[in-house]
Amino acid sequence: MDLYGWFGKALRVNLSTGVIKEEEIEKTLMMDWLGGRGLGTRMIYREVPAVCNPLGSENKLVFAAGPLTGSNFPGSGRFSVSAKSPLTGTIFDSNAGGTWGVRLKRCGFDMLIIEGAASTPVFLSIKDGAASLEDAGELWGNDVFETNHKIISILGKDVSVACIGPAGENQVKFAAIMNDAHRALGRGGLGAVMGAKKIKAVVVSGNKKVRVAHPEKMDLMVYESDKWIQASPITSKGLPEFGTPVLVNLFNELGVFPSYNFQGSQFANAGKISGEAIAETIYAGRKGCYRCPVQCTRMVKIGASTIPGPEYESLWALGPECGIDDLTVIAEANNLCNQLGLDTISTGVTIGCAMELEERGLLKTGLKFNDAVGLLRAIKQIASREGVGDLLAEGSRRMADSSGFSQYSMQVKGLELPAYDPRGMQGMGLGFATSNRGGCHLSAYMVGPEALGVPKMVDRFSTGGKAGLTITQQNINAAVDSLIICRFINLAVSEEYFARALSAATGVDYRPQDLHRIGERIWTLERLYNLQAGLDSSFDTLPPRLLEEPIAEGPSLGKTVELKPMLAEYYRFRGWDAAGIPTSKKLQELELEEYSC
Amino acid sequence: MLKDFQKIGRDLFLSGLNSSHSGNLSVRYGDRIVITRRGSMLGHLEERDLIETGLAKNDSKIILASTEIGVHRAIYKGTSALAVVHAHPVHAIALSLLEDQIIPVDSEGAYLLHKIPVIGAEHTIGSKELENILPGLLSEYKIVMVRGHGSFAVGQMIEEAYQWTSCLEQVCRIICLTRSLHGEMKEKRFEKFTSW
Ligand code: SF4
Repeated sequence: MDLYGWFGKALRVNLSTGVIKEEEIEKTLMMDWLGGRGLGTRMIYREVPAVCNPLGSENKLVFAAGPLTGSNFPGSGRFSVSAKSPLTGTIFDSNAGGTWGVRLKRCGFDMLIIEGAASTPVFLSIKDGAASLEDAGELWGNDVFETNHKIISILGKDVSVACIGPAGENQVKFAAIMNDAHRALGRGGLGAVMGAKKIKAVVVSGNKKVRVAHPEKMDLMVYESDKWIQASPITSKGLPEFGTPVLVNLFNELGVFPSYNFQGSQFANAGKISGEAIAETIYAGRKGCYRCPVQCTRMVKIGASTIPGPEYESLWALGPECGIDDLTVIAEANNLCNQLGLDTISTGVTIGCAMELEERGLLKTGLKFNDAVGLLRAIKQIASREGVGDLLAEGSRRMADSSGFSQYSMQVKGLELPAYDPRGMQGMGLGFATSNRGGCHLSAYMVGPEALGVPKMVDRFSTGGKAGLTITQQNINAAVDSLIICRFINLAVSEEYFARALSAATGVDYRPQDLHRIGERIWTLERLYNLQAGLDSSFDTLPPRLLEEPIAEGPSLGKTVELKPMLAEYYRFRGWDAAGIPTSKKLQELELEEYSC
Repeated sequence: MLKDFQKIGRDLFLSGLNSSHSGNLSVRYGDRIVITRRGSMLGHLEERDLIETGLAKNDSKIILASTEIGVHRAIYKGTSALAVVHAHPVHAIALSLLEDQIIPVDSEGAYLLHKIPVIGAEHTIGSKELENILPGLLSEYKIVMVRGHGSFAVGQMIEEAYQWTSCLEQVCRIICLTRSLHGEMKEKRFEKFTSW
C-alpha cells in the first residue's frame, strides 16, 4: 500500500510472553483517527476493558505519533501515550514534545502497543525497526536523569529515551513518563502503568524517511504557518522571551491565579516568580522541541547548574499553590519532579491540599504553606512512598477522602486542577468539569478565548455561549492532539492550515470541518469508555469550593462557577441525553453505532 | 484615555476605514506604549482592549498586544510621533495596488498630505520588513500606504493620526471617482507635489 504521512505499521510488545510483532494498521483506521490521541483512544477502547485495574496486566500503553510527526510542520515533533489512568480511572492520553516522537516515526512505526507485564525489569529498544526487550535490572531504582544518561552512553547519542523514575517504579498514582530527560508525559499517572508493567524505558532510534505526499504543498503550509507564528506576539515575542510563565502576571492581574490550594485567586508575590522575573534573574537560555521556531523552554541557572526551568503550570503548582514565592526553590522542586518522574501539577496540588488539611487540623501531614524545605522533602517522600509520602502518592482525592474531607481536594475525576481559577473564567470551569481526562486545562483550552483572545476574546464572566464554544474547542483540540501539534502553535495557526498540512502530508483530502468531526468522534468515544468505567454525569462537576465559595477579592470578586446551566446546555449541544449519555442518534451521526455503553 | 481610543476607534470603523476587527491604535508614554489588543474591535473598544507594555522592552502583556506592535514600536523609536493609527482604508488600498505614490488631486488633500508614499513588502502583517522601512518614511511623511494592506499614520495625538487617515481615504476616493469619470483633468496641480 502506498502510504504518505503514515507508515501504516504498529509494533506490539507483549511483556508477559516476550513476543514482539509488527502489525499493519489499516489505512481507513488512520484516516479516521489520524494518530496520537485519536489512534490511542480507539486502541484503548477496543483492547482495554473499561473496568480493569489500571495497574493490572490488562491495561495497555499505546504510544502513537501522528501523520505530521517527522514533517517540517512547526510544532509537530510530538507523540502521545494512552492508557486507562490509575489516577482517574478514565481513558487517558498525555503528549510530549522533544525528539522521541520523531524518532519513533523514523523507526517506521506510527504506533507502539505495550501489553501484559514483565516479571523482572526490562527496557524496550527499537532501532530502525528492529526491537528487543533488554534486562533493566541495573537501571531499576535509577532516577530519570541517570537512566537517560546510562542508556545513551550504552546505545549512543542518536537515541531518545522515554523512561520512568522511582515514582513510576513505586506506582505513584501521578507518576510521569519522561522523555529526552526533561520532557514529561506528565498527567494521569501513565508512569505508574509503566512501573506496574516493570518496563523502565522505551528507547527509539531510526533513519526511515517520513514521506510527504505533496512536498510543495507542505512547503507552502510550513511557510504560511511560520509567517503567522512570526506575526503573532504570543509566539514571536511572549513565549520565546518569557516561556509559558509569561502567563503569571497576566492571570494574577485577572484574579484567576489560584494560591494556597485555591483559597485565593491571586498571589501577592506573583511578580517575584513571573516570566519577567525569570528573565531578569535566573534565565540562562532557551530551548525547544524538534522543528519548533518558538523554543519556549527556559534554561535557568541554579547554583552551578543550568537546568530547564519550570513551565507555567509547574511554577504555579510548586509555587503559589503551596504558598512558595522563591524562584530558586520552585526551579529546584521542578527539577526534582523531573528527576524522580512526577507530574508537577498533581504533585504541587496534592502537597497544597496536604498543607491546607494540616493547617486546618484535619490531617497530620507535617506540611505547612510556604515551607520550602517541607515541599522538597514531600516530593522525595512521594516518589519513594516513604512516610506521609505514601498517602500523598495516591493523589489529592484519595488523600482527602482518607481524612473524610474530600471537599479540600482540588480535582475533577481525580485529576488535580491546573493554574486557573475557573470562578473568574466560566468556560474554563465547564472545560474542567467535562474533560474526559478529568481536571484538565488542555482539552478545551479556554485560556484562548477567555484570556488571550484566540480565536476571539469572549467575556470570561459570562456563561452564555460557553457550552458551544467549549465543545468546539474540545473537538478541535482532540484532532490537533492526534495530528499531533503543540497547543501553543495552535495559538497562532488555525485549523485551516492544519487541514491543508494534513492533506499535503497524507495525500488524503481533509477540510477543517473534517478535523472537527474527527475530534468529536474521539471525544465521544472517550466519553463512552468513561461511562463503561462507571464515570457517569455525577463526575462532571467541580470541587465545592469553586461552586459555592465566591472569590473574596480582586478583579474576579464575588464569582463562583455557575456550572449547572452551562452543563445542561453542554449535554444538549453535544447531542447527549440529560444524564450525559450520547444518544443513539448522535452515535449514528458520528458513525459510532458499533461502539456503545 | 479609554474615551479617546473609543471615540477614534468607533469613527474609524463607522467611516469604513477599518473592517470589524482590523486596524490598531497606539499612544506612547515615555518608555511605555498603550496599544489596542490583538483582534479587538475598534468600533467597540473596552477597558480590556487597551494593552500597556514596554516601548523597547517586552513584558507579559506583549502576548495580548496587537500583531502590529513591532511596527508601532519601530515608528516611535524612529520618529517623534506620540500616536500611531493603522487602518485599512478601501480606496487607498485599491490605489496602492496600482501606484508607487498617491498624489492628491483635491485641495485639502494636497495641502495636508502633499504626497503619500506606497511601499511594498513580502510580509505585510507583523512584519520585520515594515519595521525597517516605515520609521524612515514616517519621519518625512504623515502617512504611508503599505501596498495591498493599509495605512500607517503618525501624530502627536491619536486624533491627529486619525485625521491623516481619514484625509488619505478622502483623497483616494476623489482620485478613484475622477478616474471613473474618464474626463481630462483641467488642473495638473499634482505635478508640483511629485518632488515633495
Ligand atoms: S512551543 Fe514550546 S512546547 Fe510547543 S513545540 Fe515549541 S518548544 Fe515545544
